[in-house]
Amino acid sequence: MRLIIRDDPSSASSYVANYIVQRINHFAPSPTRPFVLGLPTGSSPVGVYRILVEKYKAGEVSFENVVTFNMDEYISLPRDHPQSYHTFMYTHLFSHIDIPPQNVHLLDGNAPNLEAECLAYEAKIQAAGGIDLFLAGIGEDGHIAFNEPGSSLASRTRVKTLTYDTILANSRFFEGGLDQVPKMALTVGVQTVLDASEVVVIVLGARKALALQKCIEQGVNHMWTLSALQLHPHPMIVCDEDATLELQVKTVKYFKSIEQIARAEGFEQILPTKIRTGPAPEVRVQRAATVVVDGFQSPTIASPQPTTSHLLRASPETEYPVRSRSPSPDFTPDRMGSRIGDPEHTRRLTPDPDQQQQKKQFAQPEPGLLQRHARSRSKTPRPVVVTTRINAVGA
Amino acid sequence: MVAILQPPPLTKTGITKLTNCWLVTRDSTLIQSDLWVGSTTGKILNSQAAFYDDFLVPEHTIDLQGRIVSPGFIDCQLNGAFGFNFSTVMDDMSLYRKELDALNKKLLTTGVTSYLPTVTSQAGSLYHKVLPYLVPSGSARDASVGAESLGAHVEGPFLNPHQNGIHNPSVLQSATSIIDLEQTYGFNNFAYAIKMITVAPEVANMTSFIPDISSVGIIVSIGHSEATLSQATAAVEAGATMITHLFNAMTPPHHRRPGIFGLLSSPDLTVQRPYFGIIADGNHLHPSTVTAAWRTHPEGFILVTDAMHVLGLPDGHYSWTNGSSESSVIVKKGDLCHLEGNEEAIAGSAVPLIECVNNFMEWSGASVAEVLNTVTATPAKMLGLEGIKGSLEAGADADFVVLSFKEEEGEGRKKRLGVDEVWKFGERVV
Repeated sequence: MRLIIRDDPSSASSYVANYIVQRINHFAPSPTRPFVLGLPTGSSPVGVYRILVEKYKAGEVSFENVVTFNMDEYISLPRDHPQSYHTFMYTHLFSHIDIPPQNVHLLDGNAPNLEAECLAYEAKIQAAGGIDLFLAGIGEDGHIAFNEPGSSLASRTRVKTLTYDTILANSRFFEGGLDQVPKMALTVGVQTVLDASEVVVIVLGARKALALQKCIEQGVNHMWTLSALQLHPHPMIVCDEDATLELQVKTVKYFKSIEQIARAEGFEQILPTKIRTGPAPEVRVQRAATVVVDGFQSPTIASPQPTTSHLLRASPETEYPVRSRSPSPDFTPDRMGSRIGDPEHTRRLTPDPDQQQQKKQFAQPEPGLLQRHARSRSKTPRPVVVTTRINAVGA
Repeated sequence: MVAILQPPPLTKTGITKLTNCWLVTRDSTLIQSDLWVGSTTGKILNSQAAFYDDFLVPEHTIDLQGRIVSPGFIDCQLNGAFGFNFSTVMDDMSLYRKELDALNKKLLTTGVTSYLPTVTSQAGSLYHKVLPYLVPSGSARDASVGAESLGAHVEGPFLNPHQNGIHNPSVLQSATSIIDLEQTYGFNNFAYAIKMITVAPEVANMTSFIPDISSVGIIVSIGHSEATLSQATAAVEAGATMITHLFNAMTPPHHRRPGIFGLLSSPDLTVQRPYFGIIADGNHLHPSTVTAAWRTHPEGFILVTDAMHVLGLPDGHYSWTNGSSESSVIVKKGDLCHLEGNEEAIAGSAVPLIECVNNFMEWSGASVAEVLNTVTATPAKMLGLEGIKGSLEAGADADFVVLSFKEEEGEGRKKRLGVDEVWKFGERVV
């Protein structure tokens, strides 16, 4: 976890915007190998978008080969309603930059089949090669996207009911009061966010301080969904001083010092090269092409994996070549006796009911140890080979 | 099918994006926003829908450097300009067409993109000859022809002879039936060419004809009239929705008998209060009078020029045939006009609409957007063209002007709005 603390909201926003620009430029995206960016809405990222627009206008970055996926959208709110996230994104970012409209993806809260829309969205993310950088904000209750407290940490894109707190917080944007506030939303899941190569979260203001404390100093907890970030290999939280109000002095000092030392050493808590430059183009194209389309089921939702196995897999083991272990042989269950040359001792010393049975019935010789070994192996479940099967309704 | 990223289509969209500009909105605010204009459709686009639905991006982007974009001005009372008067009969009427075309092109430079060519009180034969040329341009939608007629405004001849202004009293009539109107203007003209008629409702039975006139889509405007408030109220309740140059050529308001002006704040009116034209040239009305009308009923306030053919010409003496074969002489001095030998007889104005806008802004203290709406959104609403003309909202015709404040020479160094660019149907024409 990288925690970057800046004095005020504008310098925190500026840090994030600069970081994104650097990531895009270092990635050197091309039409066949775009940089895939996950994007949030809300008050926290507004400053980031403003600076990104400035940087685009100053010619420091181009979004021509950037593909975006937004986190969430209200259900049944007209797409061009002033409070829709389509409008938000268009007003704050898309209308000011050179992103091709076909590279922009948002969930359609008015889709006839919302479930299919969610599955198709996950499929589109897969088809784009996964998200390289997911930018996020958090709610006062620690929600990331619309993954409200109690959301499964293994969740994927789906329909979500908003909590009363969130509806109340949103009502200030809707003239007619509570009745006008959408009660449901489509949102990417916690797991969708964790699947990104990198997650950057911007947290601004004292109102978010408790949530930040819960997510950094406490354990992984579905009541503070952002805390799932602790299981991600490359998370970064950027916050202002106000947002640290609930953190221990020790925590703040610790993160400030590692940032300082890392910078002094010229290391700057940099990402592994493979993540910064992305996979080789051939790989990416192949991934996009080998997607299997299935109109009816998505393995991720139809047959969910245990939460922990999912989360622990967030970090592919191949990512750290430096740490690769010395080759150790597979575990072979054998007996100490088998290692002694004396054939007397290779025999089993206690009676084996199986063998006795077999001897009686077929009068066969005692099976060798190798055969036993093979049999016991076959009882352990084989690792499931997951083919990427994707549901893409209407795509 | 899987949505694999498609390369952007390399089609020419014909879309121009104006950016870094302030847009005048319907609710009288200036908002900083981009404006997307389609040159193929000639309309303002809903850029967000174009982006998300049709994957369209602008072909050109123009940085307006913080200037103001207003809908194109609409002048509801324009008698002529640049040496051409609409109330003119020529031996060779093809010449009329040529003069009209030239006027339309020049008029754009003043920021007026559509207008009601106004014909003053004339003998019947003139109407028959000129009105066919003044029909609304309608579906032609050709930016190259210049400013667009929204239909003729016939100011007379069914007026009160005591409030003739400078109209020739000998041609004024009183109608006994609606047939009289149709015969005077011509049946076809009545059906197709005329958008607005100024009448004195108290003359003969005019009030009783108003429902029939407005039922064919013609706007009835009260003017050149001595109507009392109750007569005027009856006219409005019968369907009149406009007042022609309020205060001028009507009985002045008296504190116990407010007359036509009383319509602006009448407690007895059961229908919508009427719109009204105001000539803010600094000559027709005192600034205090203009402001009083504005404060009384801002939603109905429409600035008009009532400009004569001498608009845009140098100062001097110009001839004018006023409803008869005899020609009289108009003296133009700056923005003001009067009849030769009588400085009291105001003969229309010679002021461009943008100057009326500047005068009114200076006098009233109204905001830029409020003032610009008096020559855009409000007249469009009055003409039943809300959301088509006088609007920068998606779906409206892309007629608009780019304005900026310019500091005047001389003492005070007042800042006045000037017209920098004019766009018609999505194409830049000035």
